Amino acid sequence: MADVTLQSVSKKFKKDIALDNINLKIKDKEFFVIFGPAGAGKTTLLNVIAGLYLPDYGDVYLDGEHYNYVEPEDRNIAMVFENYALYPHFTVFDNIASPLRSPRYKEPKAVVEKEVSRVANILKIDHLLERDISELSNGQRQRVGLGRALVRNPNVFLMDEPITHLDAKLRHQMRAELKEMQKNLDTTTIYVTHDYLEALSLGDKIAILNEGKIEQIGTPDEIYYYPHNEFVASSFGEPEINFFRASVTKDNQLSIFEEAKNQPLPETIKGYVKENVTSVKLGIRPKNIQYSFTKENENCVECIPYSFEPLGAKAVLTVEKDGNQIRLTVPSTLQVAMDKPVYVQLDVNKAIFFGPNKMNLLSKYREDAKGEVVWQN
Amino acid sequence: MATEAYEKQAMKERQLTNKVPWKIKMRPFLILSPAFLLTIGILIPFGMAIYFSLTNYSFKYAEYMFVGLENWIAMFSSPSFWHSVGVTLSYAGLATLIETLLGIGIALLLNRENMLARSLRIVLIFPLVIAPVIATIIWQLMTNNSVGIYSDWLRQLGITNFNWGADPSTALITVLIIDAWVFTPFVTILVLAGLRSLPKAPFESAMIDGGSAWFTFKNLTLPMIMPMLIIAVLFRLMLSLQMFDIIFALTRGGPGDTLMTLPLTAYTEAFTYKELGVSLPFMLILYLFVYFLSHFIVKYWTYTQNKASGK
Amino acid sequence: MKKKIIAFLQNAALVLYAMFAIFPLLWLVILSFKHDRDMFNTTFIFTPTLENYRMLFSDGEYIGYFLDNIIVSFGAIALSIIVGVPAAYALARFDFKGRDGIAFTFLSFRFAPEILVVLPLFLLYQELGLYDTYVGLIWVFQVLSLPLLIWILRGYFEDISVEVENAARLDGYSWWQVFIKIVMPLIRPGLVASALLSLIFVWNNFTFSLLLAGQDVTTTTVAMLQYVASDTVHYGQMAGAVLIASLPIIILALSIQKHLVRGLSMGSVKG
Repeated sequence: MADVTLQSVSKKFKKDIALDNINLKIKDKEFFVIFGPAGAGKTTLLNVIAGLYLPDYGDVYLDGEHYNYVEPEDRNIAMVFENYALYPHFTVFDNIASPLRSPRYKEPKAVVEKEVSRVANILKIDHLLERDISELSNGQRQRVGLGRALVRNPNVFLMDEPITHLDAKLRHQMRAELKEMQKNLDTTTIYVTHDYLEALSLGDKIAILNEGKIEQIGTPDEIYYYPHNEFVASSFGEPEINFFRASVTKDNQLSIFEEAKNQPLPETIKGYVKENVTSVKLGIRPKNIQYSFTKENENCVECIPYSFEPLGAKAVLTVEKDGNQIRLTVPSTLQVAMDKPVYVQLDVNKAIFFGPNKMNLLSKYREDAKGEVVWQN
Repeated sequence: MATEAYEKQAMKERQLTNKVPWKIKMRPFLILSPAFLLTIGILIPFGMAIYFSLTNYSFKYAEYMFVGLENWIAMFSSPSFWHSVGVTLSYAGLATLIETLLGIGIALLLNRENMLARSLRIVLIFPLVIAPVIATIIWQLMTNNSVGIYSDWLRQLGITNFNWGADPSTALITVLIIDAWVFTPFVTILVLAGLRSLPKAPFESAMIDGGSAWFTFKNLTLPMIMPMLIIAVLFRLMLSLQMFDIIFALTRGGPGDTLMTLPLTAYTEAFTYKELGVSLPFMLILYLFVYFLSHFIVKYWTYTQNKASGK
Repeated sequence: MKKKIIAFLQNAALVLYAMFAIFPLLWLVILSFKHDRDMFNTTFIFTPTLENYRMLFSDGEYIGYFLDNIIVSFGAIALSIIVGVPAAYALARFDFKGRDGIAFTFLSFRFAPEILVVLPLFLLYQELGLYDTYVGLIWVFQVLSLPLLIWILRGYFEDISVEVENAARLDGYSWWQVFIKIVMPLIRPGLVASALLSLIFVWNNFTFSLLLAGQDVTTTTVAMLQYVASDTVHYGQMAGAVLIASLPIIILALSIQKHLVRGLSMGSVKG
C-alpha cells in the first residue's frame, strides 16, 4: 500500500531519450494507466519504478521515501511482464510460488501452498499447477504471470501490457476480470497499455506518454472529452477524430469550408481565442458529424464517398473533401451509393478547439507545476 | 514564452545526473576478475616473447644479453625463413582449400533424406574428435611398410615408389591427407548446419522458375551459407597455419627441410639448437600474420552475415 | 532414369568418402584384436585375441598415462568452468565500457600459436617450479578451454530473456541469487556441451604436454608418440592403446552432438 511519486525523471539510452522530465503523483490504491504508442517509453518508466533502471536524472519516491538506490528485490514491487517472463524450468506451481519462497519473503511451506492455490483458484488455473510452462497456451501463461504477482502483498503492482498478447475474446474477458480484481485488491496499480479502450475502461487516472514526455494526465472523462492536445485527441477514439482547419474572421466567425456558411465562435471558447489568432483547428469525433444525401441547408458541404467499412452494428464511412478524408460513424444498414455525393454538416459546438501549438485552447500550461497539466474548465 | 524559461531551467537541472553506485558499477569487473587473473598468466608470456626475441637467450648458457633487432634481421635475411614461410603458406592454403571443397561436397551429399546420408551424418564426425597426433599414428600404422594395409594395397596395384612421409616428393601430400582426414568433418558439419537452416521458400520459387542445380547453388545456396563457410575457413586457416602436431608426429619437419613450417622451425631452433632468442621471431611474425588475417576475415564475415540476412 | 543415375553416383561418392574416413578406425579395431604372430601374415582373417588389451591393462604404465590425462583434462575444465561461467555471464549481461574488446581478447587466445605460448612459458615454468606438474599443465590448458567456454556460454546467456532475470529480482532474489537459482539451471545444457567440447580439445592436446611436461606427468598423446618411436613396437597393443585413448572422446562427442556446431565455431554459429 503506497503512493508513488516521480520527480523530473529522465533516462537516456546511448543517444535516445527514453524518458524526458517525467513528473507523476500516483495516489495510494489508485489504478493508474500509462498509455502511449510503441516506443513511447512506457516500459522504461515501469522499469524505473521497479528499480531495474536508475534514472539518469530525477527521483523516485515510495510513500515519500527516496527510492533511487533501493535494489529491486528490496522494493516489494510486483510486476507482470509483457512477455510473461516465466521461469521456463519451473512448473506452474513453482512459478507462482517463487516470490513466496525467495530469500526475501521466505514464507513457511503451508503458507506457500495455501496462497498459491488461492491465487490459482481466482485465475482458474488450479488444474494446471503441475504442468510445465512449455505446455501452456499464451492465455494460460499470462495468467501464471499474473498469479506470480497476485500471490504477493506488494506496495505496488506494475503491469506491462499484461493482456496484449491474448486473442480478442480472451482479452475482453480478462479486461473485465482485471477490473473486478482491482476492486478487491486495494493496492496501487500502475498499468501500461497501448489500447485506448483498456485505458479508458480500467483506469482511475490515465497518463499519456509520447516520445518520453507526458502529454496529459487525467481521469478517463477528462482525457476523452477534454484532450489537452491534438496527440491525445487522436489517440483516443476509434475511428480517429477528424481535424479541420478553420480561419477566424474579425467578427469572431469561423470559416471551415468556403461553400458552407460561416458559424459563430462558441461562447465557451471565445475568451481563449486571442485577438491576433486567425486560424484554429477543430477536432470533431466521427459520431458527432451529421450527414445527409441531399443538401439540406447552407452548412452542408459536398463530399465524395471514399470507402464504407461495416463493423457489425456500426460502420465507418470515409468521405473526401478537397483531398482530405473525413471519417463518420454510421449505422451499417445505411445504403451508400459510392458514386453519389454525401453532404456533411459540422457542428462547432461539438468541436474541440486547438491552437497553433496543437494545444487545446481550453487547457493551459502552468509553469510552476513542472509539466503537470492542470485543468481549467 | 514562460515555458521556454522553464524548459531551460529543467535542462540545466537535468545535467546533474544520478550517480550509479560504485558497488553496482564494479559488478561486471568483479565477476570477470578471476578470468582476468588467470589470463594474465597467458599475457605475461606474450610480453616475455617480445622481450626475449631481442636477446641472445640460449638454453646452453646461463647468461644472455640484449642484442636489439639482430635475431629479426638474421631471420629476414635467411633463406630458410623464406622457405618456411613458403611451406607454411602452401600447407595452410592447400589444407584449407581441400577441406573446404571436400567439406562442402560431403555436406551437400549428406543433406539428403535417405538411410545412407542419415546414418553417415553421425559416423563421419568421428575423425574430428581424434587427436591429430593419434590420427598421425593411425595413418603411420596404415602406411607402415610391414603391417600397413594401404602400402600393401599400393604394392598390389604396382605402385612401389610411393613412400608417404619418408620421401620429399610425397611428404606434403601425406600430411595433407592426414590433415584432411581429421578436419574435413569440421567444415562438413558447419556447412551442413548452414544447409539445414536454409529457408525453403526461395528454393521452391527457383524450382518453379526452372533454374539449373548449379544456378541455384551459386546464386542461392552459396550466399546463404556464406557466413558458416567463412567461419569454417577462418578456423581451418588459423589452425593449419600453426599446425604442429601432425607434421611433428610424422616427420619432425623432414625429410630434410621439406616440411619445416614456421612452428616446426621455431621448435627446432629452440629445442634442438637451444637458441630461444633466435626462435621467437619466427613465432611472433606468424602470430602477427594470424592476428591481422583473422581480423580481416571476421570483418568480412560480418559483411556476409548482413548480406545473407538481407540487410 | 537420369535422376536415379545421379542419386546412385551421389551415394557412391558418399560411400567412397566414408571408406576414407572410417576405414582407418575399423582397421584399428581389427589390429587391436590381432595377435603379434598374426600381424604380418594375415589381413582380415585371423583368430581374434584379447591379448593386446590384457597386456595394456596389466602394464601399469599405460594406465598411468591415462590417469595423468584424466587429471589434467578434468582439472583444466573444472578451472575453466569456475572462472569462465561468471566471465561469460558478465560479458553477456552487463553493459560496460570495453566489453567487446575484452571478449575479443579472450577469443584471440584461441588463435595464438601454441608454440608461441610454450616458448616463454618453458622458461617461466622452470622458474616457478611448474614445469612437468599437474598445476602447470592445467594452467596452460586454459588457453584452449577458457576462450571456448566463454564464447559458447556467452551465447547461451544472451539467449535468456533479461525479463526473466528482472522478474526474479522483483520476486525477491538478489542478483547473485538470480544467477544461481534462475540463470544457471537454464544454461545447463550449454554448460555441459561446452565443457565436454573443451574437454575434447584439452584431452587431445599434444604440444603443451610435450613441451611443458613429459617425465612426471605424461599424457596419452605424448606417451603414444614416444612408444611409436621406440624400437619394439607391438602393433596390436598400439592399436588397442589408441582406441582406448580415443573411445571416451568419441562417446563424449556423440553425447553432445546437438551442440557440436555451436561449440566448434566457438558460439559464432548457432547449431
